[in-house]
Amino acid sequence: MAQDAAAAVTLPRRRIRIRWRRYLGLSIPATILLTLIITGALADILATHDPNFINLGAALEPPVFNGGTWEHPLGTDKLGRDIYSRLLHGARVSLIVVAIVVPGAALVGTMIGMVSGWVGGFRGQILMRIVDLQLALPSVLFAVLLGSVFGPSLRNVIIILLVWTWSAYARLVRADVISLRERDFVTASRAVGAGDAWIMRKHLFPNVVNTVVVIMTLEVAIVILAEAALSFLGVGVEAGKASWGRMITEGRETMNRAWWPIWLPGISLLVISLTGNLMGDWLRDALDPRLRHLR
Amino acid sequence: MQFWSFLAIRLLQAFFVVFLVVTIVFFISRVVGDPTTYLLPVDASNEEVERVREHLGLNDSPIVQYGRYLWELVQLDFGESFRGGGTSTIGAIGDRSVNTLKLGAAGLVFALALSIPLGITAALNRGKLVDWIARFLAVIGQATPSFWLGLMMIFLFAVELGWFPTGGSKEGFKSLILPAISIGLLEMAAIMRLTRSGMIEVMDTDFIRTARAKGLTERVVISRHAVRHALLPVVTVLGIGLGRLIAGSVIIEVVFAWPGIGRLIIDSIFQSDFPMVQTAIIVLAAAISLANVLVDVSYRLIDPRIRAGSL
Repeated sequence: MAQDAAAAVTLPRRRIRIRWRRYLGLSIPATILLTLIITGALADILATHDPNFINLGAALEPPVFNGGTWEHPLGTDKLGRDIYSRLLHGARVSLIVVAIVVPGAALVGTMIGMVSGWVGGFRGQILMRIVDLQLALPSVLFAVLLGSVFGPSLRNVIIILLVWTWSAYARLVRADVISLRERDFVTASRAVGAGDAWIMRKHLFPNVVNTVVVIMTLEVAIVILAEAALSFLGVGVEAGKASWGRMITEGRETMNRAWWPIWLPGISLLVISLTGNLMGDWLRDALDPRLRHLR
Repeated sequence: MQFWSFLAIRLLQAFFVVFLVVTIVFFISRVVGDPTTYLLPVDASNEEVERVREHLGLNDSPIVQYGRYLWELVQLDFGESFRGGGTSTIGAIGDRSVNTLKLGAAGLVFALALSIPLGITAALNRGKLVDWIARFLAVIGQATPSFWLGLMMIFLFAVELGWFPTGGSKEGFKSLILPAISIGLLEMAAIMRLTRSGMIEVMDTDFIRTARAKGLTERVVISRHAVRHALLPVVTVLGIGLGRLIAGSVIIEVVFAWPGIGRLIIDSIFQSDFPMVQTAIIVLAAAISLANVLVDVSYRLIDPRIRAGSL
């Protein structure tokens, strides 16, 4: 963190502790994120029950630490489905969404941002108005509209979130490229006859890649929360699929009688998005402190 | 660039964006579903269905419908709702938008009232308890899913303790508190982080040292010099935050059964009430675009160093 670095200059004795804290700041979220990846990928093996197996006889059984049995370590929901297994499969949904949406949006947003910054003028303006359009259209409404047109499904959630998130990259990359455009190394490259594509690949891209990586990390939490919000509104994943957002909607009905069906997915969401934000902050401070105003 | 031409260009750009929104929403909402299935009883004859479709102009090609729609818009005719016996959509939205504005304003007031004093205090007491509390609040506030927080607060404060109503807007100020907190928490966190880091940065600059050297009291140095400077970036974030606040109101309105535009749109989408959806989204998009223009303009007025069009 910038202020910690400043403190290190004036207080040399604290330096070691501060550096240790720097890496601690990365290792905890990295561990949690790794856990999400492993549990999501191995959901089939780690789950003890079929996440959609309904057993009304075992409805709303409490978690083991709240008087339940080891048969359902985290209890069951109103339909008797095993919450532990559903959480694992929900993690898989989040994982799939993040794994496709974050790199996909980064690719599209970076390319559009680079081109619109480099081309400039009228054509660049047109591209930028498309980005503005994305900002002016309330993204949740747009997502609900698309979701109700195409019906709830994992594929549609991914498409919606791609449309929703690419513009964050485009705006920042464009701002970077506009300032890079005037720099001497770019002019020099052009003077020796480099083409647009070459300059973008060899000179502009290496200079914006840090920005893109930082946004990607911060977007992990945004994308996971957005998927949950869409599933909560009923335009997210299919009705049969376990998703944390859907689990919260379903837990809402029995909120007064049982805390676990709504608390456990909520806490999972909170922990994961906390993790994403902490990691993004850490990377931002390490790679590109100028981006402090983001989020 | 002159100020007025800058303003004119920004307004034109905003207008263009709204026009694109109109176009996109028109064509998407045509695919949502056939409204006749909702408008007529199940046993309606084919002739009846045909008559209603003809009456609503649904048999023309989409391009013709689009052209007709644009022409009506130019005349400020926003069309009639398919439901509720042909009430004008803009009238229904007018009532609802007051509620959404109320909710958004309350959320913003909550966010600003908590974030700026806390951010400043945290920056001036770095490493102390208040700083830790502020940073903890910021991290938690940015990570909490707003709809889940809303549900939890309903459970705790409305169901268990009975301090607030569980939803709706019947009890005036009391029913505004929980939704305002849920919607404002994210902005609160974002603005506080920005205020805190801005203050820390500015307290280290030469002009603060100069102000102190002049013998000004610490109070004057902070309130006259430091805070003004630190709040500059907050204005930009406020613009983005305004958009986020309006968009976020959709989900919070659903959680709290708040009768605003967001819930109206969600309901109308599921009822295939095209004209209502279109008008509501256009109104929201226009509001957000206008807010963005206002932020750009005020930013230029506050800080003359900013050249227009640099970002």
